[in-house]
Amino acid sequence: MKKVAVIGTGNFGLALANLLAINNEVFIYARREEIVEKINEKRAHKGQTIHERVTAVNDFDLITKECKLIFPIVPSSNFKEMLIQLSPYLTAEHILIHGTKGLHIEVDINSVTQLNKSEVLTMSELILKQTSVVRVGCIAGPNLAKELSEKQIGGTVVASRFNEVIVEGKKALNSNIFRVYGSNEVLGVELASVLKNYIAIAAGMLEGIGYGDNSKALLITRGMAEMVFFGKAFGASEKAFMGLAGIGDLMATCNSKLSRNFRVGYQLAKGQKLSDILSDLNEVAEGIKTIKVVKLLAGYGFNSPLADALYKIVYEDWELKQGMDYLMNLPVSDDTDFFTHKDS
Amino acid sequence: MPTRKTIKKPLPSVVKNMEEWPIYKAYENPDLFLNKVKELVKKNASWILKDDVTLRNEIKNIVYQEKMRLSKTPWKSDNPKEKLFWSDIKKQVRSSKATISENGTKEVDERILNQILDFYGTEMIADFKISSFKFAQKALPYIYSRLINSFPQIVYRLFSSVDKLYDRMKIMGDIDHIRNLQKIGTVVVVPTHYSNLDSPTIGLSLNNLGLSAFTYGAGVNLFTIKSLSRFMHNLGAYKVDRRRKHRLYIETLKSYSTIALTEEVNSLFYPGGSRSHSGKLENKLKLGLLGTVIDAQRMNLQDGNGKKIFIIPVTLNYHYVLEAKKLIEHYLKDEGKENYLEDENTTSFGLIKRAYKVITSNPGMTISFAPAIDVFGNKVNENGESYTSIGQKVEVADYFKLNGKLVRDVQRDSQYTQILGERILQEYKENTVVLSSNLVAFVAFQIIRKRFSQFTVFEILSLPKDETTIHTDEFIPVLGRVKEALIAIEKENKIILSADLELELEELMKVGINKVGSSHPKYVLRKNKKGEISTQSMKLLYYYHNKLTSYGLEKYI
Repeated sequence: MKKVAVIGTGNFGLALANLLAINNEVFIYARREEIVEKINEKRAHKGQTIHERVTAVNDFDLITKECKLIFPIVPSSNFKEMLIQLSPYLTAEHILIHGTKGLHIEVDINSVTQLNKSEVLTMSELILKQTSVVRVGCIAGPNLAKELSEKQIGGTVVASRFNEVIVEGKKALNSNIFRVYGSNEVLGVELASVLKNYIAIAAGMLEGIGYGDNSKALLITRGMAEMVFFGKAFGASEKAFMGLAGIGDLMATCNSKLSRNFRVGYQLAKGQKLSDILSDLNEVAEGIKTIKVVKLLAGYGFNSPLADALYKIVYEDWELKQGMDYLMNLPVSDDTDFFTHKDS
Repeated sequence: MPTRKTIKKPLPSVVKNMEEWPIYKAYENPDLFLNKVKELVKKNASWILKDDVTLRNEIKNIVYQEKMRLSKTPWKSDNPKEKLFWSDIKKQVRSSKATISENGTKEVDERILNQILDFYGTEMIADFKISSFKFAQKALPYIYSRLINSFPQIVYRLFSSVDKLYDRMKIMGDIDHIRNLQKIGTVVVVPTHYSNLDSPTIGLSLNNLGLSAFTYGAGVNLFTIKSLSRFMHNLGAYKVDRRRKHRLYIETLKSYSTIALTEEVNSLFYPGGSRSHSGKLENKLKLGLLGTVIDAQRMNLQDGNGKKIFIIPVTLNYHYVLEAKKLIEHYLKDEGKENYLEDENTTSFGLIKRAYKVITSNPGMTISFAPAIDVFGNKVNENGESYTSIGQKVEVADYFKLNGKLVRDVQRDSQYTQILGERILQEYKENTVVLSSNLVAFVAFQIIRKRFSQFTVFEILSLPKDETTIHTDEFIPVLGRVKEALIAIEKENKIILSADLELELEELMKVGINKVGSSHPKYVLRKNKKGEISTQSMKLLYYYHNKLTSYGLEKYI
């Protein structure tokens, strides 16, 4: 049986390790020794039962020697640090498929007023920059960790410019409860999986103020248009946004209280303070950072009214009503303008 | 950090005995070489051998295309026996019904396929004659130098002018490193392409570096004069017929290049394809032949010899490009690729005439060799070991491994080729030498452009002379700002500045104006006594200006 590794013991990392264990022997890397011991001894962590073929370790040397296929599932804020530690053990033979739905920003976003494209990296770009691995991919889609851990059926997309990576990813993950699709649109898939986070925050807000399905459908559809505009400005095609990582993930996260980003929006609408929400969450809500990143990239000329409104609400203390008025009074364009829109 | 130096005189050969040169050994037994090419084509062109029907249809299609080519675009250089060959193939296909064996048509068609591959291979294959090479080595510099000399009848000038030639041809780069790599592996040189003069220029440069001879593809249109054609053939030139577009021919060409590389023969490609029509630095490469370096590297590893292939991007930097006017007009008309009829006019004789004109009037050229990279774009050290951009040592074999085994994967390797292409473009950009001529052209054109910022490039190009005149009072400060910006870019090792840029601004302006496109019938730039700088050809000014458009310098205007 093939050996593969997962780096990161967050909810999604654990769920993915369990899915991988259907076809493989799996090492899961945890930074802290006590988590390694807990997983190996108690066979459970963060409410998830751990598959018998999953072994927790704290040894990059071991996992890189034993496994050529590695899935880093680490929050974007820790990703670079993890890569710096992992990099000396990696060779060009390794294949890395990450599952991190976030961006790496080369500067401190709290101390700049705008960002250059070159300062914003997707996780696969960061892997290429920080390691000798070339065969890089990402996994994205409607993959709410809790549902995956309950063995509900689901699907995902593995995207890479290398078919070899897609094939290896499929072989490792495909099972009778999990369908794995392939895509060469890696940039589009990565951006879709990042951008949908702030759409989910907005969806949570709508739910929080008691709006129904019409409002949410409007939000999701125009949210997707906004994601496409952004993607095109960064050189991605609209294709990926129509797949599992785009519309698929939007439908899941914008309708589910299991989504952290959705919950942040919901609680903001209920009048809670952002700092309190984030400290209660105990995990990262990438969407909050993404709102700011999109705002700081506004110079690239894409349409992002939703991100603008969310920025004002989250960072400038606008009332929710104010944000909605702002959005509802904007001029309307063609329904499917994202197909015809050319980036500036 | 590479130790860049400029050489003025030819260096001794790295491998002195020419019989030990891979090019000599590879072409010593042409049948063996071609057999390897043929076997590789058949291995890689699995689509053609898929089944009886496909094979037969492909052969019919090839015969049709070849006959069409001969009737629609015949060239003087075409082999007179070729018509007969294709008629014979056609006859064999037609009559094969009578001789079909129990296995269907495959047996017959495979025989026909072999004949076609033999035909292509025999037409394509180069040779390497030590005598021809030695002659070229001795004679060419003198012929070149003599061309420079205005009064060739004075014999002593013939000899003194060799030094003049090397004064005009500045060859720079980490020369010792390149020579060292020649001892370890195979060298592939990939230059930028601006002019028909590029090939003789690069040929002479490579010889001056003391590298073993290179094999290179040359258009069949260059093989029109028998004696010269023979000479080129004997110096490693393999024939490429760009009229042939079908997959089998392309596959044969690629396999030829791959086998040459696995036989450790140094090779030369122009990855930009045709010459840059706009005068801009290449921003897109044709990846066909470039991909053969990846194939060859993998085959070397699979064969167990592991011999490494090193890629050396080279930028050619001219003050004057003879064909500039024609090229820029082509570009502006957006005619795309050169048409073949016109290329046909580029005979070997035509090339010599052009070379004569360029050399006699050229105020100089700089040939800049970038640091060597491996086939994945990693830098290599003095031992040929590869290091990533973050300084980690990597093994090239690992890139081809899947689950511990070296495997061929066409899609993966096409991605590697793209990555290599991107790295070559980066090296072109970083190893471009800023000549005073390009700099003054850039500054002048951009000042005019800013003056008419609402105009399109086409409208700017048709402005009357009095609208495009620039006074030195306006020119000099802008030149100063752009120069400062270039100095900052050079500090980051993102460009190379020529010695002219050390001059004071006034002098730099004067030298640049004198050198830019100096021998075109219409002057590109001229300064009058009143201090007014003007041009007689906005198109040429635009062409020479284009060289510096990819460095974000526009904001300093």
